[in-house]
Order: sequence, then structure tokens, then C-alpha cells
Amino acid sequence: MSGVIFSAENVSKHFGGVRAVENVSLAIESGSIHAIIGPNGAGKSTLFNALSGFYRCDSGKVRFKGVDITKAPIHQRIAMGIGRTFQTSSVFPNLSVYDNLLIGLQSASKYAFRFRPIGSAARKTIEEKAERLLDFVNLRDSARRPVAELAHGSQRLCEIAMSLSTDPVFVMLDEPMAGLAHAESERVVEVIRKLHSDLGLTVLFVEHNMRVVLSLAQHIMVLDRGRMLAEGTPGEISGNEAVRDAYLGKEVVENV
Amino acid sequence: MRMGNRAGVVTAAVVCVLLLFVPQIAPHIHLAISICTEVLLFAMAAMAVNLLVGYTGVLPFGNAAFFGLGAYGAGLTIEYWHVGFFSSIGLGILASLIGALLIGPFLLRRRGIYFALLMIAFGQVFYFIAYRFTDITGGEDGMNFARPAVEWLGWQLKDENFYYAMLAFFFIVGILFLLLVRSPFGRSLVAIKENETRARYLGLNTDRFIFVALLISAAIEGLAGACYGLSIMFAYPLMLDWHNSGNIVLMTILGGSGTVFGPFLGALIFVIGNDILSSAVPWWQIPLGALFVACVLGFPKGILGTVLDFFEKRRGGFGYEARDTLHSTVLSEREIQP
Repeated sequence: MSGVIFSAENVSKHFGGVRAVENVSLAIESGSIHAIIGPNGAGKSTLFNALSGFYRCDSGKVRFKGVDITKAPIHQRIAMGIGRTFQTSSVFPNLSVYDNLLIGLQSASKYAFRFRPIGSAARKTIEEKAERLLDFVNLRDSARRPVAELAHGSQRLCEIAMSLSTDPVFVMLDEPMAGLAHAESERVVEVIRKLHSDLGLTVLFVEHNMRVVLSLAQHIMVLDRGRMLAEGTPGEISGNEAVRDAYLGKEVVENV
Repeated sequence: MRMGNRAGVVTAAVVCVLLLFVPQIAPHIHLAISICTEVLLFAMAAMAVNLLVGYTGVLPFGNAAFFGLGAYGAGLTIEYWHVGFFSSIGLGILASLIGALLIGPFLLRRRGIYFALLMIAFGQVFYFIAYRFTDITGGEDGMNFARPAVEWLGWQLKDENFYYAMLAFFFIVGILFLLLVRSPFGRSLVAIKENETRARYLGLNTDRFIFVALLISAAIEGLAGACYGLSIMFAYPLMLDWHNSGNIVLMTILGGSGTVFGPFLGALIFVIGNDILSSAVPWWQIPLGALFVACVLGFPKGILGTVLDFFEKRRGGFGYEARDTLHSTVLSEREIQP
């Protein structure tokens, strides 16, 4: 742990009269895994989109590595080292898994705007990186298949690998388990664990599945009606009365 | 090289050779050489549209503005500045590029149907300018101008010679287009077409890419328009009209958007079909319309897209998109070892 890498101060996002996110502040330590939880409609996805630049914040500040990125365009955030995935897998469906990765890799190595072919040395580096990413998410067997033909869980893994292709230090995962069967979600959990332990990345994720949250996260933030209800370690959160009432339900906590 | 690629290369080579002998073949099949030239020029325009529709995923329903700007750019500079053949083409392209530079920044603020509608609106602005400034442009009647002599030859290109000059442009544009869509830039465009949000989150400044694609498209279409103006020695407001935009988009989709050679096929069918049908029956637009409807409903990938898919599937592949757009040409031909 070496200080705060990503932070938000009093971030708000309103849609007309709906205060989807209201004065939320958070600080994420470098090298940690943070989770955001909360009941449906709590504003988790809105917060996530506001933090990642998909929405413009109505007020407040977002900082990354000490730099104010509140108004930074998305491609600048990516260049600074942020990666993200979406609740419904956001991939290039008609392209192969390999090509999905290449788009990010050629972007990260500043070749995306090039009109001439890439030189053989740089090409080799990119190919090796692509293969490492394929191995990381265990999709080598499906490398040449269009992503649209893969199972849902594999698409999700492909998306995670894509978000890694731009060499982020901080990755934001929006409900990585959404819609996955149990066996598939196990694979994804394993990959997220490796993001932290093998690659040393800082991870922020939104999740509904409490079992996953409590087993992965070191720090949990609970959102309710657009406001931060509580935050703390998994132990503190599962012991928190207010959180229990608002969201968790008794049975889930006891099963952990 | 894969089988699919080889068949494609052979077909392309045969078509190129046939194009070289069109002036010899055309009279035997009762085809005017001017119609063959028209096919080439509309094929270039359709290629320009294809860069946006098929490779970038934006709908240029006002693209004829670029076509018309090319024609008027050439016509006006010939009429008032007495420039030569190639200079007039260059100036036509320039006029088209300036048009794209002016409207591009506004278009970039919108996507999808709003981009298309905004572009139609801008296109109509150019149409009304040509229509209203009668003193300069001849207004509704259009403007006649002479085809100037080629600068260094000192004589005028006609019939076959003109066809061969256009064929040379067509080959050059075709080769550059092929290199463009296979370059890293071209791949970035395909990524934007597939999923622009994801492309942004992979670090692409997508506005910049779309703007440059629009400029390239405008330049190609300006070239086609300038040459078309020179071929009929005439420029008229309907060239800029959204009706003409629609025709060019139709050719692109009919032939197969997102394929390199589809637009040529579309232009061939459209222009020649138009020519034959319009001289035969008064209701000649009905079969073309029906063909378009059939295409959109039954073969959204267009004629060439559907054919390529058929061969690719029979080969046990996954459809031409997964093969042709990217990886066979991308960074490596190397197979991944499972």
C-alpha cells in the first residue's frame, strides 16, 4: 500500500430531478481491491460511469495519481492508466478474440493512428503481449473465434483482457459477475484475484453477488439512494446494522 | 495465403484485366463507353461512402455534397480561372475537402441517425447555394464547361483516353483504399464501427478518427465528382442533392458495405441497370427499389458480403468479417498454437 491512487470528492450526478449520486467521496489505496455494493437503484452504476468519464459529473472532483481528471476525456484517462469493463460485456462482437486484444494493444503502443503497417519488431512485441493476455484469461483456445460466438463468461473474460491491453494500473469492473452461471463466475473471480495478486493492479468493482464481494474485496463501500451509507472492511460491513437493514439480509451474511 | 484470399485475389485480377479491355468489349455488348466511365466514377464515390458506412459505422446521407463540390470545384475553376485538366480535378478535391472541414466539426457532435440527418441538412445547404447563386453557378440549369486539355499533353482526353485516365484514378484509389483499411488506422475505424464506447475505453480519441475518415472520404468523393463533371462537361445542383447521396449509399449497401470490392459491384449494377431499364420502360425505378428492399431485408451484407460469407462458412470459417476485416492481414499471419 502506497498512498491514494484514485479519489473522488463530493461527486454528484443528477438526471433531471433524480439525484442518482449525491456528494459521494471515496479514496482508493494503491494496490487494493475495493468494492461498491448497494441495492438496486442505489446509484452504483451511475457513480461508476461518473468516475470513469462516461458521464460528466455535475459537481465534485475526481483525481487519479494526484491529477484532477474530472473533465478529462476518456482516451486521456486510458492513457494515464485506467481501464474499465461494463455491466453488459462491451466488446467488438464480430472480431476474433485476438483482434479484440490487438485493437487495445496497437492503441497502447501509439500505433492506432498509423497509416503504414507496423514494423516487425514492434509487431512481435504486440503479438507476445496478446498471447500473454490470452493465457492470463485462459482464452487461447478461442483466440480465432468471433467474440459473439463465445459463452457469456468467456466474453466477460475477453473484455477484462481487453481492458488490460492498454497497460492500466487501476481497473474498474462494473458488475463482473452479472448474468454468469456459477461455474463461469468462479473463473472470473479467479481472474480478478490474479489482477491483484499477480499483476499488482488496483481494482474497483461494483457487484451484487455478496459471496464474491466478501471473498474478494479488502474494502467495501455501501451506496444507498445515491449516498454513501457505510464503508469499511468486509468484517465491519457485514457487522453493520444499518447495512444489514438496507441491503444485505440476514441469511447471506450468515452463509459466508 | 488462405484459399479464400487466393480466390479473392484471382477474381480481383480477372476484373482488373476486364476493365482494361472495356473499350474493346463495350461496343460488342451495346454499351456506351461513357456509361462504363460512369460506373468507375460512381464506384469511387461508393468506395468513399463505404469507408464511412462499412468501416467507420457512420451514415453519410449527405455525401453527395462532396460529389457535387468536386464537380462544381472543377467546373467553376475551369470556367473562371481557365485551369487545366488535372488542376481542375485537384481543385475539385480541394473544394470537397474544404466542405468537409467546415461541416465535420458539427457532424462529430452527433452519432447514428442524428449524424445522418445533420449531414443531409448540411448537404442541402450546398445544394441551395448552387441553386440560388445563378450568376455564378447557372442555378437550376447548371453550368456547362469545356473539358480542358491536359497540361503537359496539350490535347483533350476523349472517349477511350478519358476512360483510361479514369481507370488509372480508379486503380490508384482502389489500391490506396485497400492499404488504408488494412492499416492500423483502418483497424481502429473498424473497432469504432463495432463498438465506439469500447474503442474510447481502449484509448482511441474516436472523434479524431471519424473526422479524418470523413476527410479521406470527402477527398475520394470529390475526386469522383470532379471527374464526373469533366466526363459530362456539366455541373448541376442535383449532383449535390440528397437524392444523389441516397443513390450512392444504395450502391454501397447493394454491393456490400464493409467489403473492399462490394461498392464497385453495386455501382456496376446500379448504373448499368439504370441505363438499360430507363431506356426500356417508364417504371424503371421500381425494380431497382425492389432490389434494394430485397437486399436490406434478405442480404444486409450486400451481394458481395453474402457471397463471401457463403464461401467462408462452407470452408468452416466464421464469416468473412472475422477473417477479412482484420486478422488475416493485421499484425501477423501467425496461427495461435493452442
